[in-house]
Amino acid sequence: MTTRTELKARIEAQIAGFEAGQQVDAASRDELIEDLAAWQASRIPEYGRLQRHGAWPPALPTDVFRFRRIAAHPEADDLRVFRSSGTTSSERSVHVYRDLGLYDFAARVAARHMLFPDVDRMRLVMLAPHEDEARDSSLEYMLARFAEWFGTECTWVWRDGALDIELLMEQLRNAEASGDPVAVLGTSFAFVHAEDGLGDRRFELPPGSRVMQTGGYKGRSREVDREVLLEAIQGRYGVAAQRIINEFGATELSSQMYDTTLREHIDGSAGLRRLWVPPWVRATPVDPDTLRPVEGESVGILRIDDTANLDSVCCIQTTDLARRLDGGIVVLGRAPGATPRGCSLAADQALGPP
Amino acid sequence: MTDNALLVRARAASVLEAGKVLSASTLADRAHWLSQGASSLARQADGRCDALSEATRLSIPMVEWAARTTLETITENAMLGLAQDARTSTDRALDPIGLLSVVLAGNVFTASVRGIVVPLLFGVPVLVKASSREALFPAMLRDALRSADSRLGAAIDVVAFQGGDIEAEAALVELAEAVSVYGSNETLEAISARLESTPLIAHGHGVSVAYCGTEALGDAQLGDTISKLSLDICAYDQRGCLSPQLVYVEETPDRSSMDFAERLAKDGLELLSRTLPRGPLPVSAGAAQAQWRGIAEVEGTLVRGDTYAVSVREAQPIRWSPAYRNVTVAPVPGLDEALQAMQAIGSSLKCVGADSASIPKVEAQLASSPTLSATTCAIGTMQTPSLDAPADGHPIWHGLFRT
Repeated sequence: MTTRTELKARIEAQIAGFEAGQQVDAASRDELIEDLAAWQASRIPEYGRLQRHGAWPPALPTDVFRFRRIAAHPEADDLRVFRSSGTTSSERSVHVYRDLGLYDFAARVAARHMLFPDVDRMRLVMLAPHEDEARDSSLEYMLARFAEWFGTECTWVWRDGALDIELLMEQLRNAEASGDPVAVLGTSFAFVHAEDGLGDRRFELPPGSRVMQTGGYKGRSREVDREVLLEAIQGRYGVAAQRIINEFGATELSSQMYDTTLREHIDGSAGLRRLWVPPWVRATPVDPDTLRPVEGESVGILRIDDTANLDSVCCIQTTDLARRLDGGIVVLGRAPGATPRGCSLAADQALGPP
Repeated sequence: MTDNALLVRARAASVLEAGKVLSASTLADRAHWLSQGASSLARQADGRCDALSEATRLSIPMVEWAARTTLETITENAMLGLAQDARTSTDRALDPIGLLSVVLAGNVFTASVRGIVVPLLFGVPVLVKASSREALFPAMLRDALRSADSRLGAAIDVVAFQGGDIEAEAALVELAEAVSVYGSNETLEAISARLESTPLIAHGHGVSVAYCGTEALGDAQLGDTISKLSLDICAYDQRGCLSPQLVYVEETPDRSSMDFAERLAKDGLELLSRTLPRGPLPVSAGAAQAQWRGIAEVEGTLVRGDTYAVSVREAQPIRWSPAYRNVTVAPVPGLDEALQAMQAIGSSLKCVGADSASIPKVEAQLASSPTLSATTCAIGTMQTPSLDAPADGHPIWHGLFRT
């Protein structure tokens, strides 16, 4: 009988192996997903009721996290509760953790590989609320850990529920003056609001600087096309397009995926912009009728099997449209009409009505 | 095809002018020409099912069924009866407007038929803005009417352009005395913003439900109930506002809602998936389907086939299905509880389909409801309204006459 301890050790071994530069075998990951799913199905009745379609374990729809507590442990053992942004409880996914060790491990290794592969630590500017202002946000939790793991110093330019434009400008000017590279991290919403607030001001951040943006718009504020925002950030901060990367995360997941451009730029290779999938994760566009993987580069709905989701459900069915590309994934956005979700809303709510 | 504002304006002027000639004809003549045009279109549609299937993303058998059941309602007798009803509905002489602009939606391709035929019957010329997704059928209808009579044919034209083309939208409505809009509430708002005093005939977002009382659930009746209900669900792949998304079923000691759901799936939807197959599922709708089905499965109440699914869940709160033959069965103790649950839908509720024994009770309760304005019809006919069926709480000729 597989135990949680055994499963956790296998997951950690996969992540640690990758961190150590070893090739992670897809077959052993798939076997781990099978064992993990079987263990979770035996402990989480909601997941146990799902029927298998095809060769893989069933994937739990993200919407279920809005209606049910999905956990293999009793509520009394909850260490941390993350909620997606939203205006009512029924719109907010809830993901409970009894242990953040795997989350931290996966987040640190993935970010080191894709976001900070060339530096040990650097100055960080967060276009997001501090963790203390958003205790139930997984994004804010992750950014706070980034500050600990990767920051020489870190400034949160969202303070007391508002974007502090003066502080942001000060940080950007300081970076320009010092010549030390800076990483600007935040939600897409926050970058749009910064665009609006910064007016004509332009910056030339020092070489080595980078930008990470994440999250969607959820129809609550003006939406900016991905390419348009990319171009705006380039012009605004003086950072090359390869150094501006998207992070793909979700409350229902414990691992993150990142655009390949920064890593490939540093490695001296160049490919089309796509998401890198950590080797302990399986990301697959599936056919919405059969829920089986689509062929080739066809568009499907994105299924993510995240082995770092130990105490909830590993196999997750999202509503994002996606296709495969060169070993990675291109997310085409949320399906129209799907329930809005994501990490950006917390920042937007902080700003009040648009 | 995409028409620019110049062309839209020219067609509006041309149709308006042709309307003056058309209004000199008799109602009987127009009814005759329209029925001839409908017959002609039915023959043409048979030969162009492939193209219509491609344009509408419905299966070929579904396109054939939809065209046939819609066009067979366009008879001279039905039109003369409709005209008689319109005349007797008012003390005054009917004074048709000079031009109606119609904005069509793409979800139910045959919706254009009543939207075009009825105004023309009363001598009102029509300029149609076809859905950017589906312009073929309205163009075929226009051509069929032209072949029936040149005066009639000159009084109808079709344009197509992308929503949000401000100049083209302005050209579409500037000569119209009324504008009839089928579409989402966003479309209604966008068109409404272009109108100053011109009346808007709104056919906005709506949903429909069905009710099956105990009389429809006995062993002798159940097969017929399932068969009719399945047709209502499968028609147009459940994409229309008259498609039942939710079926309230009176639960009896002999028939559980789960048993009903299983019979609906296996004896109804499965059968129709072979004779009237579902069209391709757009990936965006598929994303919603995966979530909806997954939640139902988690709740332990899903019965599914390859291209359909039935979920059993309590009547409230409502969890709307993503359509495309995904339907909810909600057990209720009786009609009162079903109507209570429908209150939450409010003015978006378009039609309640009911078994024949329940229709009088449903009609009476809806008539006395302060919040619901839905029509009632028999299950099995929800997607095949007669020519004179009301639309959005109004007679079908609403807005076609000057007051």
